Amino acid sequence: MSLLAPSEGWFQKKVAKDERMWILIAFAVCIFLFVWMIMWHVVGRQNPSNTTYKTNPTEFAQLHDAYVKKNMIGMDNGIPVVKPEPGSDVILMGQMWRWSPALILKKDEWYNLHISSKDLVHGFSLQPSNMNFQIYPSYDYVLKFKPTAAGECKILCNEYCGIGHHAMIGKIVVIESDADLAKYGYDKLSAAPADYSSSATEEDISGWSNEQLVKAGETVYNLKGCSGCHKTDGTVQIAPSFKGLYGSKSKVSDGKSTFEIQVDDAYIETSVTEPQKHIVVGFEKTQMAKLDLSANELKQVTAFIKSLQ
Amino acid sequence: MFRTCDITGFKVDLNSEKFIRLNAVMAVVSLLLAIVAAILLVFTRYQPVHLLDAEWYYRLTTFHGLNALIFWIVFFEIAGLYFGSTVVLNQKFCSPLLGWVSFVLMVAGFLLVDVMIMMGKADVMMTSYVPLKAHPLYYLGIILFAVGALLGVSLFFANVVNAKREKNAGETLPLFTYGLVAAAIIAVITLATGAIIYIPTFLWSLGLIEAMDPAVYKLVWWGLGHSSQQINVSAMVSIWYLTTFLALGGTSINERVSRSAFVLYILFICLASAHHLLTDPATSSAWKVWNTSYAMYLAVLASMIHAFAVPSSMESAQRRWGFNKGLFEWLAKAPWSNPAFTSVVLACIGFGFIGGTTGVIFGMEQTNIIVHNTLAIPGHFKGTVVIGTTLTFMGITYYLIPLIFRRKIVAFKLAQIQPWLFFFGIAILAVSMIALGQLGVPRRHWDSSFSGGPFTHTFNPSVDFFWTLMMLGGSLAFIAALIWVLQVVVSVFFGPKITGPQDMQLPLSPLAPAAKEHKGYEAPGTLVLTLLFLATFAVLFFVNWKWLAATWWVK
Repeated sequence: MSLLAPSEGWFQKKVAKDERMWILIAFAVCIFLFVWMIMWHVVGRQNPSNTTYKTNPTEFAQLHDAYVKKNMIGMDNGIPVVKPEPGSDVILMGQMWRWSPALILKKDEWYNLHISSKDLVHGFSLQPSNMNFQIYPSYDYVLKFKPTAAGECKILCNEYCGIGHHAMIGKIVVIESDADLAKYGYDKLSAAPADYSSSATEEDISGWSNEQLVKAGETVYNLKGCSGCHKTDGTVQIAPSFKGLYGSKSKVSDGKSTFEIQVDDAYIETSVTEPQKHIVVGFEKTQMAKLDLSANELKQVTAFIKSLQ
Repeated sequence: MFRTCDITGFKVDLNSEKFIRLNAVMAVVSLLLAIVAAILLVFTRYQPVHLLDAEWYYRLTTFHGLNALIFWIVFFEIAGLYFGSTVVLNQKFCSPLLGWVSFVLMVAGFLLVDVMIMMGKADVMMTSYVPLKAHPLYYLGIILFAVGALLGVSLFFANVVNAKREKNAGETLPLFTYGLVAAAIIAVITLATGAIIYIPTFLWSLGLIEAMDPAVYKLVWWGLGHSSQQINVSAMVSIWYLTTFLALGGTSINERVSRSAFVLYILFICLASAHHLLTDPATSSAWKVWNTSYAMYLAVLASMIHAFAVPSSMESAQRRWGFNKGLFEWLAKAPWSNPAFTSVVLACIGFGFIGGTTGVIFGMEQTNIIVHNTLAIPGHFKGTVVIGTTLTFMGITYYLIPLIFRRKIVAFKLAQIQPWLFFFGIAILAVSMIALGQLGVPRRHWDSSFSGGPFTHTFNPSVDFFWTLMMLGGSLAFIAALIWVLQVVVSVFFGPKITGPQDMQLPLSPLAPAAKEHKGYEAPGTLVLTLLFLATFAVLFFVNWKWLAATWWVK
C-alpha cells in the first residue's frame, strides 16, 4: 500500500505477465539506444569532436589576430572576412559580442575549425543548418566541419554572455565555386587594407600620412573587436557611435560625479587603457573591456575615429 | 504533542504540522514570484510585444529560473519529506529546534538570492557560468539555502530511523515513504555537489581565489543543476503512488518492481548531469555516451517501469472496484471530479509524452547537436518539471489543504478545472518551444531580430506561428497557475475550518477489494497505453535523427 506497509508476501509476489513483458521491451529499448549512439560513431556523419587543446584567452586572441592579419581578404560590416584553404586550420573567436572572422567555405570540403572565446562562455549556433556547440574561454575546441549545402549561414550565440548577447552574430558563406561570391557581394571585397604589420610598436610611424594612419586604424578597429559595439554609421545600442564623436563633448561619470568631457586624443587613450575611469552616461550596463593596444595602434585608431565626422 | 486525525486516523505531530505548513507557504510564495516573472518573459520573447528591455529580460530569466526550479520545488519537497517521515509513520518530529534552523536558513537564502537578483547584482542566469560573476551575497544566499535544505533532508532521515527504531513504521516502509527516501538520498548527492561548486565560486567572487576553470565549473555545477531535478522525479513518482492510494485505494501491482525502480534511480539517475556537456570540449565521447545514457539507460528503465506501474496500479484498483469492461472502462469511470487524481493523470501524460520522450532523444550524444541551448531545451523541461512535478505538487496540495491546514477548499468547482487549464497551457507552451528550438531559435535570448548586430538572421517563417502559440499557451498556464495560487491562499487563510470527515471535499477511498485469483494480463489497458507511448517515442526518435543526418558533417 502506498501509504501503509505493503501486504503480506509482497516480496515473493510474481511479476504479472504484462508487466514482465513491458519491462523486457523497455530494457531492449534501453540497450538499443545505447548501442545506437556508439554505432553512430561508426556509420554516422555527425559526431562531436574529441579534440580539445588547453589555451588561454590572451594566447587565443593573439592567435586570432595573427590568423586574421595573414588571411583576411576584406571586411563585411566591421567583421574581417577570411577564405581559408580547404583542409586548413581555421581560427574562429567568440567575444562580447561578435564572432570573428566571417568565413567563406567551399561546399563538400573539410575544414578544421578551432573555436574558443576571448572572454565568457559562448554558444556556437550554426543556422539554418542548426548545429550547436558550447565554446569556452581557455579551451580550443577543434571541430572538423564539412558543409553539405551552399548558401549563407549565420553563427548565433546561444549562451548568455551579457547585455549585448543578442547582437552576437557571425557569418559563414558556403560556395560551390568562386562564381558564387558575387551572390553574397564578396566578389568586390577591397583587398587587405594597409599592411598591418607596420603597426607594430617598434616601427617608427611618425612619418606616416594621415591617410595611412586612418586606413591602418580601420584595420585595428575591425580586428580588435571595437566594431562589435561601436558602430560608424551613427547607430547606438551597446556603445556610443564613433561617427562625429571626435571633438564632441561626452557626458561621463567617474563613479562620484557626472561631468562633460572633451573627446580628444587623451580621452581616447584613457578610454582604451582605463575603460572604467570615465563611464559614458547611459552605457553603465555595457562597460568596455580593457584592450591591449600598442602605442602605434592607439595612434592609428585615434586617427580613424577622428576621420569619422 | 500529537493530534489524531479524525479523517485518516493518523497521529499527527503538531510540530511537524507546523513545519509542513511553513515550508508549503514558502513554496507557494516562490511559485507566485516565478509565474509573474514567467508571463513577463513570455511577452518579451513574443516579438510583437517585446515587453522588457534587455537588462530586465535577463534579470527576470535568472529570477524565474531560481524561483521556479529551486525555491518552489525544494520548499515543497521539504514539506513533503516532513509529511512522509512523520504523519504517514505516526512519528514525532525529531528536533523542532533544527527544524527552525533549517527553515530560517532556507528563507534567508531565498531572500538574499531574490534581493540580489532584483538589485541587478546577479544577472548571471540560474547557471551562473563562470567567468560571469555575481555579487558574493548571491552565491552566499544559495549556499545558505542549500545548507538549510540539507539539514531538512537530515531531519527526514532522522525521523525515518526513529520510526523504524520505535516500531511506528511497521516492518517495511510504505511505498510513498520509500520513494521519498530515494529522493532524499539523491538530494544529499545533489546538495553536496552544490557545495563543492558554490563554495569556491563564492570565494572567487570575494577575490580569494584567482580563477575558476569554466569547464570544471560547468561539469560540477550540473551535478547540482540536473540532479536537483531528479529529486523532483523521485518525489513526484512517490506522490503518484500516494494519490492512487488516496483516490482509488490502489497500490503498485508489484511493490518489489516499483521499489527496485527507485533503487535504479538512486544508482544511476545522477549521471544524467552529462546531458549538459554533450557538445562541449574537454570530455571524450566515451565519457559522454556512458554518462548521458545513465550507464546504458538504467534510469530510463526505472522511469519506464514506473510508467507502467503507476497507471496499472490505477487500472488494477478500478478493475477490482468493478470497472472491468473492455480495455478502458477503468479510465473512463475514474474519479475525474477529484482534482488531485486529475492532476496526477495529466502529469503522468505530460511527463511521459512531452518531457520523457524529448529528454531521452535530446540527451543522446549526437542528437544533442541539433537542440543544445535552443528553446527546445526549456521546452523539454516544461514537460518534466512543470507538467510533471509542478502539476503533481499542485494536485497533492488539494489533499494537504484539508488534511494538514484543516481548511475546506474555497470554490471547489474551480479546482476541478484548474488541472486541465494548467495542463493544456503548459503542453501548448512546451510543444511550441520545442518546435521553435528545433527550428534553431536560441534560449535565453532577448531579441530574435538581432538588433545592433553586424548581420541578421531570419528563421524559418513557421516560427511566427509557434511564437503565437507559445504566447497563448503561456498565458493560459499563467492564468491556471494564478487560479491555483489564489485558491490555495484564500482556502488556507480564509477557508471554512474542517470539523470532521463530512467536510472532506476530496474522497479518501477505502482499500480496493482484494483481487480474485486470476491469470494472464493484470493491466491490459495500461499495456496498450505504454505501447502507444513507445510508438510516439519511435516517431520522434526517427524524426530527430533524420534532422541530424541532414546537417553538415562534423567530427
